[in-house]
Amino acid sequence: MSALREIEFRDALREAMTEEMRRDQRVFLLGEEVAHYNGAYKVSKGMLDEFGPRRIIDTPISESGFAGLAIGAAMQGLRPIVEFMSWSFSLVAADPILNNAPKMLYMSGGQFGCPVVFRGNDGAGGQLGSTHSWCVEGMYSNVPGLKMAIPATPDDAKGLLKTAIRDDDPVFFLESERMLGMKGHVPEGEEILVPFGQGRIRRAGADCTIATWGRPVHFALEAAEALAKEGIDCEVIDLRTIRPLDIGSVVRSVKKTSTCVVVDQSWSFGSPGSELAAQVHKHCFDDLDNFVHRVHTADVPAPYAYNLEQEYLPNARKICEAVRAATYNA
Amino acid sequence: MSTPSTDTRRLFDVHRGAGAPRLASDRTPPPPATLKKWLRDMMLIREFELRCMQAYQDKKIGGFCHVYIGQEAVAVGCVAATKPEDPLVTAYRDHGHALARGMTARACMAEMFGRIDGCAKGKGGSMHMFDKPNNMFGGHGIVGAQTPLGLGLAFATKYEDEVMQNGRNKRVTLCFLGDGALNQGALHEAMNLAGLMDIPVVFVVENNGYSMGTSIHRGTTMAHDLKSKAIGYGIDAAVVEGMDVLECYWGMKQVVDDARERSRPWFIDLRCYRYKGHSMSDPRKYRTRDEEEAWESDDPIGKLERYMLENGVVTESETKDMWKDVKAEVRDCVAFADASPMPEAGELYTDVYMEPWGPYPGSSRPTFMGGAPNTPSFTAIDPKGEVL
Amino acid sequence: MPISVTMPRLSDTMEAGTIVRWNVKEGDEVTSGQVVADIETDKATMEMPVFDDGRIAKLLVPAGQSVKVGTQIAVIAEEGEDLSVAASGGGVAAPKAVPAAKPAPAPVPVASAPAAKSADEDETVTVGGQRIRVSPVARRMAEEAGIPLSSLKGSGPGGRIIKRDVQTAMENASARPAVPFAQVAAPAAQALAVPVAPATTRVSGGLVMAGLESERVAVSGMRQTIARRLVESKTTIPHYQVSMRFELDRLMAMREQLNTELAETGIKLSVNDFIVRGCALAMARHPYVNASWAGDAIAVHKQVNVGVAVALDESKGGGLVVAVIRDADRKSLRTISSEAKTLGEKARTRGLSAEDMADSTFTVSNLGMFGVEHFTAIINPPNSAILACGAALKQPVVRNDELTIGFEMTATLSSDHRVIDGAMAARWLKELKGLLENPATLLV
Repeated sequence: MSALREIEFRDALREAMTEEMRRDQRVFLLGEEVAHYNGAYKVSKGMLDEFGPRRIIDTPISESGFAGLAIGAAMQGLRPIVEFMSWSFSLVAADPILNNAPKMLYMSGGQFGCPVVFRGNDGAGGQLGSTHSWCVEGMYSNVPGLKMAIPATPDDAKGLLKTAIRDDDPVFFLESERMLGMKGHVPEGEEILVPFGQGRIRRAGADCTIATWGRPVHFALEAAEALAKEGIDCEVIDLRTIRPLDIGSVVRSVKKTSTCVVVDQSWSFGSPGSELAAQVHKHCFDDLDNFVHRVHTADVPAPYAYNLEQEYLPNARKICEAVRAATYNA
Repeated sequence: MSTPSTDTRRLFDVHRGAGAPRLASDRTPPPPATLKKWLRDMMLIREFELRCMQAYQDKKIGGFCHVYIGQEAVAVGCVAATKPEDPLVTAYRDHGHALARGMTARACMAEMFGRIDGCAKGKGGSMHMFDKPNNMFGGHGIVGAQTPLGLGLAFATKYEDEVMQNGRNKRVTLCFLGDGALNQGALHEAMNLAGLMDIPVVFVVENNGYSMGTSIHRGTTMAHDLKSKAIGYGIDAAVVEGMDVLECYWGMKQVVDDARERSRPWFIDLRCYRYKGHSMSDPRKYRTRDEEEAWESDDPIGKLERYMLENGVVTESETKDMWKDVKAEVRDCVAFADASPMPEAGELYTDVYMEPWGPYPGSSRPTFMGGAPNTPSFTAIDPKGEVL
Repeated sequence: MPISVTMPRLSDTMEAGTIVRWNVKEGDEVTSGQVVADIETDKATMEMPVFDDGRIAKLLVPAGQSVKVGTQIAVIAEEGEDLSVAASGGGVAAPKAVPAAKPAPAPVPVASAPAAKSADEDETVTVGGQRIRVSPVARRMAEEAGIPLSSLKGSGPGGRIIKRDVQTAMENASARPAVPFAQVAAPAAQALAVPVAPATTRVSGGLVMAGLESERVAVSGMRQTIARRLVESKTTIPHYQVSMRFELDRLMAMREQLNTELAETGIKLSVNDFIVRGCALAMARHPYVNASWAGDAIAVHKQVNVGVAVALDESKGGGLVVAVIRDADRKSLRTISSEAKTLGEKARTRGLSAEDMADSTFTVSNLGMFGVEHFTAIINPPNSAILACGAALKQPVVRNDELTIGFEMTATLSSDHRVIDGAMAARWLKELKGLLENPATLLV
């Protein structure tokens, strides 16, 4: 039955884009290899056939040029979706995506909004080395004026992307190459829109709050199961969007558990994780039994060697250790 | 006595790709009313910029201030060659384009002063003039950054024609840049994409010979023939005279009409000169007084005024009245800007997002557009997500 | 009029300049744009142009001298003006020394959590010269349970007392008598639900009427706060009320006219917006109404922040919040209106932030929209007064000794007698009456 339909993360992304393009002629997709190649990661497979080359647009390897093109088009009233093959490649488009898109509304005194979605793979792929393994949320979430969504499951991927496309502000949409093949339940034919700024409790628990988003949500759930056997009952909150940040859900949970572990796959210095920890300290100061513990990627460039990369990334073992320390069970 | 402006030293020099049709050259002088409008627009820009310099020196204007004196014929001639619905985007020396496009001197000066009645509520400043009703998509402060945006504006007009309304509008985008931007990567990516995708955008290089204090020969290869930059991208290119509004208009008209007709990009080496420094703190030691005087003696306003006098379009007393009128208008805009309040502290948080959330109350239009709130077309943030 | 030429600011950091050389002398003709002097700035030697046509009447600063930016350095006589008169300063506007910068706008309020704790409250508590390490939640729980920290042994790192230690101590002490039913609103649970309520206050129990059949409806955090604060206000503040009637014919006419003119901008002024503005202006001459009782002193506030009571939708749990319009005496009617609208909307949809509700110095409560003629309100501490406004009702009225139809409103000021005496309240109401009945005064 359709109610139990399971599809891959990439299919969910495609469904979101396809449905929104059918619904609104202003929406189009552009990026490297999105059309004839059917998408470097097959996210846009078949979309050229349905929408034609005017709306599914192959670009040369020219991020600064086509990201800027999308912003100009958005100022003129269109709603572009820009696919970065990897967010690592967006660095050469830093000026348009950071200096133009998030500031246009402000600098024009409310005249020109920038309803554009930038999406693509973020984070370590699998032994890609340092230049291709960026977690851009660390740097980019620093900029006011943009919104940032990081889905963890196929249903959220679809619902958040549809919301992103309809949003009037620029949205940075971060996917993970390692999750594109993940299957999950996504209801068919329903108008699913996941609101921004609303976290999702993935697992309820009484002893420790684990706040995270994106791929590490799965590591946190794995850790929570292991810790349950030790008698530590964790609540796992998937924040889903970094801007806006649903601090309210985390605070409500921490007031209950008195301890908090933040898991963030970007570097620790000046990151969404450090911001979240600071906000929890501010709002929950008198409720905390220990300082907020954090699990990040190691503070080094991403290595190539398999074992080093595993050690570099957050994982269930590191989360278990952090939770034990935070709850005085170490 | 004086040289007729049709006898220019710098000829319209054009490079076409193979198989392109001949340009339709039409050198008919515009009707008197049009000439009078151009003259007044140029006078307005000149006087406006002078008073900006004064206000800057009086500390009424902050930050950086780049004035357009000397280049007035470029903005006025180029705008005259386009339709009001054609998008226009430029760099940071942008007051002239804004005024030529129809922004009121009041909204422009109030923006310079950082006041609430400025075109961007005092949040943009000298380098960021936006005027949506007049399709002015900004001054932009980062050299070259506006070139991919100009490409995108033109892409959107083409997309609207081809995907949404069957070729109804055929708009052309004017994307201005200075000669300094020739050396930025963004321009080259934009030109490649424009050539590749048949985008109707005209990249107008306002070639005033200097990027800040670096003369074009010290910063750019092939400075003697900038057209060569475009030829490599399959883009048609031309040299257009920028110190004579008639020549500028006649040259640009052919280019803009061709871009519109064939949906193709163009690249223009528009020769001009800024009389003043790069910004207000530039002592201009990198060029000689003789060079400046030679250009100033070729002044575009004086040239058009003489042409109109000799052809009986205006009398001397009429031009005197025009100056008086323009001075009064600029005096008024300075007084207006001075009286306009500074933005209230709460404005700090408005216009960051269309949609209200957290500390951000949403967005509204500036006062010159009526000030009504911008209503997001879709509310995506769940109110329950609110902090505490 | 002669034109004053001042030392220009020729770079963004320049504060003074030296005249290296004058290129003109007194009596010379100059034209706009002409370079009249070379000026040495902190960065370079720059040319100084003039911006007007005329003749140099006077050079006030000789070459070689340094003067501050904005100092008058020369005078230009315009066409037809007498040079000597101009030079003597006839009619010259005082030198535009550094133009008086407008006062910087007040620091922008940033939404933040309720008042931070004072800096000297350290996490480490000292008892009898011994430092005790304790986690914040453990300290709070111990305090609420009345367990002295010194009686606890910490099991955390470095002997830190943690939540678990307090819980264990509480369990050991649970052989105490059962807590009466009315006190079931346990402090810990309450603190969870009501972030604004200080942890030390306890909700006093209500009576349970055993003989009646009734449904028990759980009380929201907001309802608890309302209950606590209003009981505190009504029982500790010596309230009294003074009422007055206001003729609003002119105000209603002006409101209609303004709303017609502003229709396109989306602004719609309410009667309450006028009242808020009036109240704020009335404080100028009667600052004691804009004050708080501070135990051994009266705090007369320098800011006028008018709170507006907003009732929340009953379907969403109901309740009452006070949205604060800051510096209402310095804001236009239009700004007050749009702020009141935004805050009201926010209160009803997303809820107000602590910042939106903080620092009121006076409150207006208006039930006019329900057709209420007259009511009295309970003071919103730490305010000293609250104005309760009824509807502007169309009714038979006496004007110039004739019976006619007009708009009248009754408003009642509840005051704290410790701060405001009866005559003071009456004088303030009279001031407000003057303002509302001559509404043009509200526009300036």
